[in-house]
Amino acid sequence: MSETRQRWRLVFRRDEPAMYLSHLDAIHSWERALRRGSIPMAMSEGFNPRPKLVFAAPLQLGMLAEHELADLFLAERLTAPDLRDRLAACLPLGYVATDLFDVWAGEPALAPQLAAADYRLILLGAIPEQVAGAVERLLAAVSLPRERQREARTIKYDLRPLVMGLRAASPEASSAAGAWTGAGVASASWPGAVAGNAAAAGALPPGDSLPPEEPATLLWMRLRHSQDGGTGRVEEVVAALAQEIGLSLAWTGGEEQARPAAMPTEPGSGAGTVEIVRPVRERLWLARELV
Amino acid sequence: MFSSTSFLSERSFRSPDPVPALTVERLLRRVRRPGRYSGGEWNSIEKDWAGIAIKWCFAYPDLYEIGMSNLGLRILYEVLNERPDSLAERCFAPDVDLQAQLRESGVPVWSLESRRSLHDFDVIGLSLGYELVATNVLDMLDLAGVPLLSSERSGTDPLVIAGGSIVLNPEPLADFLDAVVLGEGEDVVGEITDALRTLGWQRRHEPGNGIERSDALRALASIRGVYVPSLYRPRYAGDGSFERLDPVDESVAPSIVGRIATDFETRVRGVRQLVPNVSIVFDRAQVEVMRGCTRGCRFCQAGMQSRPLRERPAALVVEAADAILRSTGYEEIGLTSLSSADYADVSTVASELRRRHPEAVVSLPSTRVDAFTVELADAIAPNGRRSGFTFAPEAGSQRLRDAINKGVTDEEIVRCAELAFDRGWSSIKLYFMIGLPGETVEDVEAIGRISRRVLEIGRASHGGKVQVKANVSTFVPKVGTPFQWDGQDPTSLVEEKVAVLRKAIHGKGLALSWDDPRASILEAALGRGDRRLGRVIRRAWQNGAHLDAWDEHFNFEAWQHAFAEEGLDPAWYAQRDIPLTQPLPWDHLGPGVSRGFLLRERKRATAALTTPDCHWGPCSNCGVPASTGFSCDTGEQGPRARLLIGDHGTRTDGSRAAGPEVGRPPRWRYAGPPGDPRRGQAAETP
Repeated sequence: MSETRQRWRLVFRRDEPAMYLSHLDAIHSWERALRRGSIPMAMSEGFNPRPKLVFAAPLQLGMLAEHELADLFLAERLTAPDLRDRLAACLPLGYVATDLFDVWAGEPALAPQLAAADYRLILLGAIPEQVAGAVERLLAAVSLPRERQREARTIKYDLRPLVMGLRAASPEASSAAGAWTGAGVASASWPGAVAGNAAAAGALPPGDSLPPEEPATLLWMRLRHSQDGGTGRVEEVVAALAQEIGLSLAWTGGEEQARPAAMPTEPGSGAGTVEIVRPVRERLWLARELV
Repeated sequence: MFSSTSFLSERSFRSPDPVPALTVERLLRRVRRPGRYSGGEWNSIEKDWAGIAIKWCFAYPDLYEIGMSNLGLRILYEVLNERPDSLAERCFAPDVDLQAQLRESGVPVWSLESRRSLHDFDVIGLSLGYELVATNVLDMLDLAGVPLLSSERSGTDPLVIAGGSIVLNPEPLADFLDAVVLGEGEDVVGEITDALRTLGWQRRHEPGNGIERSDALRALASIRGVYVPSLYRPRYAGDGSFERLDPVDESVAPSIVGRIATDFETRVRGVRQLVPNVSIVFDRAQVEVMRGCTRGCRFCQAGMQSRPLRERPAALVVEAADAILRSTGYEEIGLTSLSSADYADVSTVASELRRRHPEAVVSLPSTRVDAFTVELADAIAPNGRRSGFTFAPEAGSQRLRDAINKGVTDEEIVRCAELAFDRGWSSIKLYFMIGLPGETVEDVEAIGRISRRVLEIGRASHGGKVQVKANVSTFVPKVGTPFQWDGQDPTSLVEEKVAVLRKAIHGKGLALSWDDPRASILEAALGRGDRRLGRVIRRAWQNGAHLDAWDEHFNFEAWQHAFAEEGLDPAWYAQRDIPLTQPLPWDHLGPGVSRGFLLRERKRATAALTTPDCHWGPCSNCGVPASTGFSCDTGEQGPRARLLIGDHGTRTDGSRAAGPEVGRPPRWRYAGPPGDPRRGQAAETP
């Protein structure tokens, strides 16, 4: 019921310690953090007032992130250095605020402004050349009819228009630029710079290495993320790729997450499955940033 | 997928390195609520292992949701991490899905902080809060590659030390434990650390170190309040009954009395409390206002063993609560104790906290059934949703309530209900027990009568939307109480009594729930058992029993077979009346209250005579000052002034719901995420 005096747009990343928070857990943890930091939040109306903190897009459980967006509505004005210091001292472990913008309090909400999201991940269990072929075929397809479960309902939809860019590379490739196959985005941030080594790419935690006996592929994709035009899901794209080469995606992600259709119910249900590790949402894009 | 040659299986249980992050990730992507196993909670402490002498891992043998709610863990975690020479990490029992993944992949169960196997620590600290966690203990040791039996552990294995509210009789688990800490842990964990450091326990891996496990056990046994089961030998009589427990030599103490923390009234430990990332059963900050309880309810183990009563000064509690709220960001703080409405300064503390943190919810557990409790709940949750108010009359008839020394009258229950309905609550939950010593069918019928009476009171003020829920559990005789000798009702009789209740409590506005009587038998058998039950526990575990405290996992058949295979009878342990002359397997472990006091109270119970609370009335000569050396300032002082809540003007707008809870230990129920319809209540272990 407190009035908004200031609206800050926060850019933040999510690292490993906070990787397994669901969206609801994240909201809860942030609310506690904002209280710890004595950040003078404006409160929502209603019987059960809550601090006005709005994430641009839910980040699913198990996903790391490098450029997420949230709006904080304050009941008292703070200077940027003051807010930055308070956030640094209070945010849940694994969340790091990387940038702050003082935005007009009357600006439209964040979520409808979103247009796309970039992701990268390591795919285990499929031969990189086969994945590369599947990427080419997927991109060449005019449509990709798929089904997915939403609670009890099965939704039929076309995945193809949601995939704006998709590339694959082998972690062993010596020259990244040549190794990446796929298309859709002129200069993909990660693939361009990386020398094909997953650890060097920051894709793996320090000290870890990929299992030598399991084939691994680096995948990068840009998916539409739009309230009107639909939102692509990483595991749907991976499931489509796996299907293309006669494999299926292992069920990962726990019960909190929507389960893509045509996915084995039990993990480890035999050979022929691929597995996603270290998925990262690299960046959320607002429509005006992509023009 | 994990192939048989997977890198996951190459890690040995004994590796000193952390489990690789990628290995953890691949396992956690396959399980429910993975945030329970990833650590990274606010206020968690990860110390550098280099230069730390004694490394503890608290292994809580139940799921994260229960274990993280435990205040004792929050306290001891801080005590050990504050010391420069020790560290404490945490590990909770993995749920069934992760257990299966760990066994399949050969990855050990890891600590949340440094992701090391439990086996890599110097001490595994087990918190035992409930009898039915026994098989979880075996699971956790097994998943870390620690030999299950104390006698099978070698020099390099960690020490397994247990503490907690059920260790008044640790005998059924004795074979698995290297040592047991009786009583309160705040001081003794430091003494154990000192002793092990002096011995050089942390250097036991080094070649030629000359450190013997037996030396460590002797060192532990010399600490006051520490019991080392392997230094005692049990003897049984021809009829199977326990005869005695002999110390192996004269240097071993014949009996041990529980420890009492020295600075409870002057210092609050556990201020930087852990804030979980995923929801837990008691998802709030906690500050202990009082320890001990002198109400003297004759069935209550916690009340009997936690004496003497100690209250913290209001200023200390307020400052600590303030610091806890600021360091955690929690939106709710519980003023905890066995019965916080009995805390003399409860109104002062609650109103001051509401003044300082108007947006925070203050909640408290209470076992009292009186107008004061309702007024208090009303004052601390002035505008909240009043979803349900809970009372624990425990027994239906006046006579039986007198016999168990739950000194509450029918009139008080009625008055309480009237007041609660008047103050806006529309749902009342009543806790009862069946099978109490001396119970008759009339007593059971009285549970139905009083429940219906409460419903009528509610209807008179609220009309048809009133709900009265009666929760009935089966009496479990608890060690260290005046009822420790009394057997449980035979199962058929329990079923008859439940049938009587089902007839008496039904219809619109009335609901009845009762606990699984089979779990109560097991609880009683393990609670009153001797060392022979160690073999039964191991068999039951091999038969597939685990997470027995959870209704959805409870596997009674596994236990029945285990008892049969060992030639033992659970009913003999749970349901027989033990002759007063017979030696008890736990006689050598002292709760503080004297045997004479327990016998006197038992006699008074038979005559349905109450014993007044020595906090307000005369001293009941429980024997605690003599056995513990603690002097209590209660007794012979007459009733203390009760502050009336209305005087404090604590009504503040903008607050949320907080009904009082009743602090007694029911069976755990499902504690999934909020909103899950299966989610139920569970008890707090202070």
